Amino acid sequence: MPDSAFPQCRIVPLRLLSPETTELLLNQVAGVPGVRRAVINGPALPATVPYGPARGTENPNTNRRTIQVRGTEFEMRVQTGMVTLEVEDDTVVEKIRTACDEVFTAFPYTLQTGRQFMKSQASLVDYAKYGPNADEFIIGLTDPRRKDSPVIIPTATPDTDGGRLSDQTQTEHTSNYSN
Amino acid sequence: MAYTPQYGPGTSIVAQNRRNQMNPEYDLQKLRSVTDEDVVLVLGHRAPGAAYPTAHPPLAEQQEPADPMRKLVKPTEGAKAGDRVRYVQFADSMFNAPSQPYQRTYAEMYRFRAIDPGTLSGRQIVECRERDLDQYAKFLIETEMFDPATVGLRGATVHGHSLRLAEDGMMFDALQRCVLGDDGIVKYVKDQVGVPLDRPVEVGKPMDEAWLKEHTTMFHSLVGTGFREDEEYIEYIQRIHTLRTKYGFMPKEE
Repeated sequence: MPDSAFPQCRIVPLRLLSPETTELLLNQVAGVPGVRRAVINGPALPATVPYGPARGTENPNTNRRTIQVRGTEFEMRVQTGMVTLEVEDDTVVEKIRTACDEVFTAFPYTLQTGRQFMKSQASLVDYAKYGPNADEFIIGLTDPRRKDSPVIIPTATPDTDGGRLSDQTQTEHTSNYSN
Repeated sequence: MAYTPQYGPGTSIVAQNRRNQMNPEYDLQKLRSVTDEDVVLVLGHRAPGAAYPTAHPPLAEQQEPADPMRKLVKPTEGAKAGDRVRYVQFADSMFNAPSQPYQRTYAEMYRFRAIDPGTLSGRQIVECRERDLDQYAKFLIETEMFDPATVGLRGATVHGHSLRLAEDGMMFDALQRCVLGDDGIVKYVKDQVGVPLDRPVEVGKPMDEAWLKEHTTMFHSLVGTGFREDEEYIEYIQRIHTLRTKYGFMPKEE
């Protein structure tokens, strides 16, 4: 995979985050001007029991609740373990570090920087799902099993600090492996 | 000279905890009380108060052939009554959980009768007659082999043992069978396969980090006792490994 044109970083907290902390973190991070895209990774919180004798029955879970990020509501389908971001330039990464320092006071986190955490070129799954002329903001965010599209969050601009609906996208990837 | 079992090598606290759990002479500390009804609810095999369903008539009513072994080995209460075979499964976090799958199997084989354990990387299942199972499960929940946060009763969907703990210290559970209440007490709201319970079952407060580190049977270099800190254990494991590797080539210990 070629290097992305934009820098990327990955926030890895020591603990799996609750929806409340995720909401706080995402609002802080999405409030930083220059964040282009974000992916939330973590273990899946299925809506129904996936297997076993109770398979198919409803699976109430307090961690699968709707959160609000800069005015956009979406339901958590994973328990946050990692947030990957694509940003405009390296100075934004330092702003994200400052934002994370404010959120993670009870336990530590790691901020990894690089250019290969998120795909920047269309993969086979991207191609199958969106065709040859896919939006560049969608590329690399694809979860082949998801039927709904990424969430659009109003971006933060240096001047107005938000307001318009823009091209900042966010989606959730599920990792439902079992042992 | 009478044989004295050694149970396991090692000089670390982890090794000692392992020996304690395996040694039936050692009284494991009872940390919490769970009623019989609560155990039945969480296991989810039958309704509390219901009679034990049977797989065959009681042994006393059967015409058993004469056999010296039958005189020698007395059946357990469950076997005597002809109970069906049911299971309990525990998942243990890798972050200083009080027990772990292999350790559970060793400990149960030393302590319980008429069981059939199955051991996997993150979970351990044990099958036996239902009447006996209730007692064994109660013992496993009430003693120091259980911690409400880092051990889970999980009959299905056990994913979580190798993941980071959640913010509140609970092991991840996709089905969220137990929740940490505002009062600090862990309550089971679903049975072990994920069917919601009529009422929550309390299993006590999570143990603190210092206690977990002191009572774990799991080596962990980051949050607990590192395996390399126990030289005797390393020596023992290396010896076993060497002998197994050389087996068939007439190994000689030097």
